[in-house]
Amino acid sequence: MAYSAEISRGNPSCFVFLIDQSGSMADTFGAGEGNQKKADGVADAINRMLQNLVIKCAKEEGIRDYFHVAVIGYGAQVGPAFSGALAGKQIVPISEVGNSPARVEQRNKKVPDGAGGLVDQPVRFPIWFEPVANGGTPMGQALGQAKSIVENWIAQHPNCFPPIVINITDGEATDGDPTASADGIRNLKTSDGEVLLFNIHCSSQRTQPTVFPSSEAGLPDQYAQQLFRISSALPSGMAATARSESLNVTEGARGFVFNAGMVEVIKALDIGTRPSALR
Amino acid sequence: MVIDAKEFWLPKHGSTDAEYEDASSIALKDFRFAIADGATEASFSGIWARQLVRAFTGKKFSLPFQLEELKPLQARWQTIVHRHPLPWYAEEKVSNGAFAAFLGLELSEENGADGLKRTWRASAAGDTCLVQIRGNEIQNAFPYKDSASFNNHPDLLGSTNIFNGTGEGLISHQTGTWGCDDVFFLMTDALACWFFKSVEQGQEPWNILRDLDTEAQGSFEDFVAGLRSANVMKNDDVTLVRVDILA
Repeated sequence: MAYSAEISRGNPSCFVFLIDQSGSMADTFGAGEGNQKKADGVADAINRMLQNLVIKCAKEEGIRDYFHVAVIGYGAQVGPAFSGALAGKQIVPISEVGNSPARVEQRNKKVPDGAGGLVDQPVRFPIWFEPVANGGTPMGQALGQAKSIVENWIAQHPNCFPPIVINITDGEATDGDPTASADGIRNLKTSDGEVLLFNIHCSSQRTQPTVFPSSEAGLPDQYAQQLFRISSALPSGMAATARSESLNVTEGARGFVFNAGMVEVIKALDIGTRPSALR
Repeated sequence: MVIDAKEFWLPKHGSTDAEYEDASSIALKDFRFAIADGATEASFSGIWARQLVRAFTGKKFSLPFQLEELKPLQARWQTIVHRHPLPWYAEEKVSNGAFAAFLGLELSEENGADGLKRTWRASAAGDTCLVQIRGNEIQNAFPYKDSASFNNHPDLLGSTNIFNGTGEGLISHQTGTWGCDDVFFLMTDALACWFFKSVEQGQEPWNILRDLDTEAQGSFEDFVAGLRSANVMKNDDVTLVRVDILA
């Protein structure tokens, strides 16, 4: 059965995050998020997701390398987007990510108080990725880089849980139709299944988000339909996770979110980075 | 009552003995037996699992066992994990606590008006399982009775009460009677799931577990390695406590 390979230190998997850093990411999110710039919100979401991945892999003796991670930014430039000690590195084992944040900020998070309420608890918030908003949207080039990273990974890990590529963008590619580049990624496979490509579209409009649709009917324009078409079907395990998060996911759902606000970005990243049980 | 009890355990394939996060404990003089399965996705789960089984066989838990009785263990767990300063990720992980499935069994024998009364009592949380065999049949299975009950999200005992809630429904209890020649198996989830699947396929897996570590059946290690390589048991820590009633 596809998408059932165990993820272990002996058989790790990888994530590739593609982050749109074009000029329009300086605009604010649409509905309900105050005046947060999309670039700032996405940076927060990526840092939080990296933090969650590190914590997921942390054991008493340190961080187990269940995953390797690449973060590629695309805007005025296309390339590795880690800052601090990891700057310039293309793909990094999760233990190195955990031990090398650029800096650690102090923030508050809400935690259950054990009596049905929530309380603020100060937490350390590591930063690996800074917001950038500058230039065009060379999505095709970014997908091309992701393909070469994943190809190299698969050559070394032919039986791993298939690598997952998550592309976060706010618009249309400025370097041509990304379909061929995206197909190139989705056609790669390990013995456990095809590589997964998910797309999260961030919106500046005050419109309802569409989360994990199973048809392009109802998507408003050709760009949204194009992003739907280049997105992989959600594996059944992730679809079940999404349903357990109260999302209405039907047969044939794709790993695509249209008009996402911050809540949907975070939720989609969370579901997309929970492939299967760690061993 | 004459009893023979034996523990069998093996870490996940690819993990070291030090990374084993199940636990088991036997107190023959008190006829108490316990098994626990620390959650892989938490940290310091192995310590938590060991604390639970030792507390049970050391009679620190009553039967039926209540969530309230975890408190001293939870305080002790906090002390243990904070012995050394932790990096940011370990601190964050520890704040969520450790988790373990748990099952404790006690056998007793009393002289009553109607003669000798032989009873067993058990408390369980999560997917660690107890099976009682009499003759060549399953007499009791607790808390799960079939392979369909297993999933990746069992309700577990937490080393903090944040996720334990009120405890309602978290711990279940069962009692029964035992007889001479009965066998009890306490199993963590990978073995228990295989056991129930075998039963559902018309097999009698208790005969294999009864004879483990004999010349006829071979070692526990070889048995588990065979099931893992045949893909009929998931790669997980595996633990069995076998309790034979001899007389």
